[in-house]
Amino acid sequence: MTQMEREPGSVLDVRNLSVDYLGPQGTQRVVDAVAFSIRRGEILGLVGESGSGKSSVIYAALGYARPGGRISGGSVLFQGRSILDLAPRELGRLRGPGIGFVPQNPAAALSPHLRIINQLREIALWHGIAKSAAEAESQANEQLRLVGLPTPELLLRRYPHELSGGQQQRVCIAMALICKPALLLLDEPTTGLDVTTQAQIIALLSDLKDRLGMSMLYVTHDLGVLAQLADRLGVMYSGRIVELGRAATLFTKPRHPYTRGLIGSIPSVHGKLHRTEALEGLLRRSELPPGCSFSPRCKYAKPDCAVTPQTLEPVANGTWTACRYWREIPPAKVRGQVINERQIQHESEAAPIFEVCDLTIDYGRRKSRRGARPVVPNLTLGLNEGEVLALVGESGSGKSTIARAICGLVSPVSGKMKFRGQGFDARLGKRTQKLRQEIQYVFQNPDASLNPRAKIRRILSRPMRTYFAAKRSEINQKIDKSLEDVSLDRNYASRYPTQLSGGEKQRIAIARGLIAQPSILLCDEILSALDVSVQANIIDLMASLRRKTRIAILFISHDLAVVRELSDRVAVLFRGELVEIGPVESVFQPPYHAYTLQLLNAVPDIDKRERPGAMTSPAPLREMDSVRGCVFCMRCQWRIGDVCDSVVPPWQETAGNLRIKCHRSPAELATLAQEVSQNGLNALQSGQRSSRESN
Amino acid sequence: MARRTRTARLALLWHRTGWSLRIGALILLVHLLVAVFGPWLASYDPNEMGSGIPLSGASWAHPFGVDQLSRDIFSRVLNGSHIVIILSLSGTFVGLTVGAAIGLFSAYMGGWVDELIQRTVEAFVSIPFIVLGLLAVYAAGPESAGKPALMVLVIALLYAPRVARMARSAGLDIITHDYVLAARLRGERVWSVIWFELAPNVISTLIVEFAVRTAYAPALVATFGFLGFGIQPPTPEWGSIISENRGIFLLSPVAVLGPGACLASLIVAVNMVTEGVSRLIGQRVEIASR
Repeated sequence: MTQMEREPGSVLDVRNLSVDYLGPQGTQRVVDAVAFSIRRGEILGLVGESGSGKSSVIYAALGYARPGGRISGGSVLFQGRSILDLAPRELGRLRGPGIGFVPQNPAAALSPHLRIINQLREIALWHGIAKSAAEAESQANEQLRLVGLPTPELLLRRYPHELSGGQQQRVCIAMALICKPALLLLDEPTTGLDVTTQAQIIALLSDLKDRLGMSMLYVTHDLGVLAQLADRLGVMYSGRIVELGRAATLFTKPRHPYTRGLIGSIPSVHGKLHRTEALEGLLRRSELPPGCSFSPRCKYAKPDCAVTPQTLEPVANGTWTACRYWREIPPAKVRGQVINERQIQHESEAAPIFEVCDLTIDYGRRKSRRGARPVVPNLTLGLNEGEVLALVGESGSGKSTIARAICGLVSPVSGKMKFRGQGFDARLGKRTQKLRQEIQYVFQNPDASLNPRAKIRRILSRPMRTYFAAKRSEINQKIDKSLEDVSLDRNYASRYPTQLSGGEKQRIAIARGLIAQPSILLCDEILSALDVSVQANIIDLMASLRRKTRIAILFISHDLAVVRELSDRVAVLFRGELVEIGPVESVFQPPYHAYTLQLLNAVPDIDKRERPGAMTSPAPLREMDSVRGCVFCMRCQWRIGDVCDSVVPPWQETAGNLRIKCHRSPAELATLAQEVSQNGLNALQSGQRSSRESN
Repeated sequence: MARRTRTARLALLWHRTGWSLRIGALILLVHLLVAVFGPWLASYDPNEMGSGIPLSGASWAHPFGVDQLSRDIFSRVLNGSHIVIILSLSGTFVGLTVGAAIGLFSAYMGGWVDELIQRTVEAFVSIPFIVLGLLAVYAAGPESAGKPALMVLVIALLYAPRVARMARSAGLDIITHDYVLAARLRGERVWSVIWFELAPNVISTLIVEFAVRTAYAPALVATFGFLGFGIQPPTPEWGSIISENRGIFLLSPVAVLGPGACLASLIVAVNMVTEGVSRLIGQRVEIASR
């Protein structure tokens, strides 16, 4: 510990920091004796599940406690000055030039009624960085260019809502950078963003670190992001740091059982499951033992763990861990074996259970805008009996819209849908009850999809009563059975949703879908609202569903790693159009569609320590609307030329039943993909550059 | 956190009540006791003539004096207590139920149905209470005039449109949630969506609304009684007692002020309780939704 406290040349020193919150049951310690330091030019990552107190640490480093909270002990030294003892005025002067802050949600952090220029200028003038408004504007210009926004002059005049999510986050980073702080604090800066946008932000941050030598404290729940960015890592659990050390060491040789579980819970795009040590159970703050707070969930726990408090002890080479038995735990098999060796059954002969032909979907209010591109134009897609078909793509690619059209929430403009070969009226009100029963929908956010005032029993009994007119005794039996199916205890039936954790709620939502005995289950981003360890549980549940039942599942996700693990076939969507579709193994192997490769490269992955290169920034939507040829041509790194703009590309079929919509032949695409994998991502970039030059 | 025992939870609840709620509850308790035991407490029959010297003022034997027909006014007030309470409660309850059903239906259906219902509701709301009530009594015809059931329906009619508007706005907020969408997807009938998904989530709003409306209802009942459109005489309804004795106000002020004070104390007490209770519910709602 003493070694950690006396770090020469450190920018930020946090010592024994404690934060209390006033709750209904009295004060609760949210951050407990946290200590770390950040050196100049270093990125320290703090990772943990929600509720682990990581955000409270970042606020405390700014000398701030959220309403109801109180910094109750310890000290925070910034370049030797104690932040917690500063007067509010001095603190205000320090925030900005000393410590910059990038918030989680850029849409909420920017004032909606001020143009970007006003927001940046205000900071520069207030801190005295610029003497005049003109000077402030030129500085703002410079900052926006620094964060990779190409045309700052135009952007500065816009309002926040006129920018995309990634652009907004860049503006927030620019706002933090304009005062040239020595330390940047980032609170989950990429959580709400798309994978491709996230990759751009990560590339930007690592570039900033290299160029400006800036120190950063990066707080997130996503280990994959930190694998690419952080020099050192702190793992937090229930308000304490349980392991601290160099990122490379932590990922290859995690010591603490919690760290190992956290790493083990992450699915990977490479299909390798590290699922040897997935986390079990949940962090329940109300039931923490006096000793090691992880012991209730730890499978190596011994009886005295729950009684004896743990402190960080040095392990080796700048690594500390808060587990007294770390020597006795068998070495981690983190580089795990490949579990996803499921036998591929190409059921090409099987008739699709659900077909979508030439479906065009749009939202009502857009009809007035003549000539505008619909959300989903002319989609043709089939879902086979018993398969898991994954729909992937960025947000706004129409994934959810398709699912909503299939279940009847959105009426398509034109086109046909067929269930078991028979057409039907797509409108929800005109569907038969039988059809409604056959297609069940699981919503993204279980907090919103379960009635907070209804007990679980009531929630699960509604489909039974609506579809089967079942008797009470039969319903109770079925409810017990379906709770068992999603591995929940039957006494959950008498609870309210608010008494359940996020993962348990999502299980109930899935159970509600299954109890209707559907033949199609539509899962709309059912993992994205959940914590990593909880996600792993739901993935297991879905995997067992896939094995045990013959339900066809349409699995919508932006998380390619999960898709690789769960699905049989993958359909890649870009702006409502399919660009690639095929069996999961073929999609994740060359040849790729250019967009699929971009998506794959953007996925942060703990196996892939290198940083993704800067991606092509998204072209303005209005320009993309005017394209008649390939939808993806504006962002394509392998663009051929004018033919891409003007001619709709044909479907290219490959050996592995894979279909790619591109002008290039599969062989050509395979060579290009190989080039990229050989030369790393630089080739991808130079490829982009040369293709741009050739235009 | 260990589960608290029932007594501990009640003690906690008691701590959160304000003084106005406690005092109001005490007065209300007296009113309720009188409503139940009034006939036994009264020393005279409410309609017994010749119980004292007509038009005599307050005395120990006749606290509120004696009216023109030589009936003891205090006994009449004691006997009429339950009428005003029962009418207020049942009228408000019917109005609330009907209004909530209309409001939630309107919110759930949306579109032109919503539009039509809202304009109709506005038409009703724009007519003053008394005028609308009198119109309703007139429309009901002479044979039903003076019946308690009519009074209940009149109060319900006055309250329902206002409750409907409130329930609609509360319902619009609930409808945006995915669980309502899920119910629609299941193909559930309109009324089962309203009953199972919407109603439980607006119930706390409705309870507060019920309390507020109940507080004003005694005044309505008494007003109609005073105007002679309420309960049939000689039933000792408070409004009609005040009306009967307004002619002797100068001779014996207590004959009007006595029943008036009783009415006022009831309304004030219900209001105090109402406010306290809605604060309690408000707190609870806040804690639950966090």
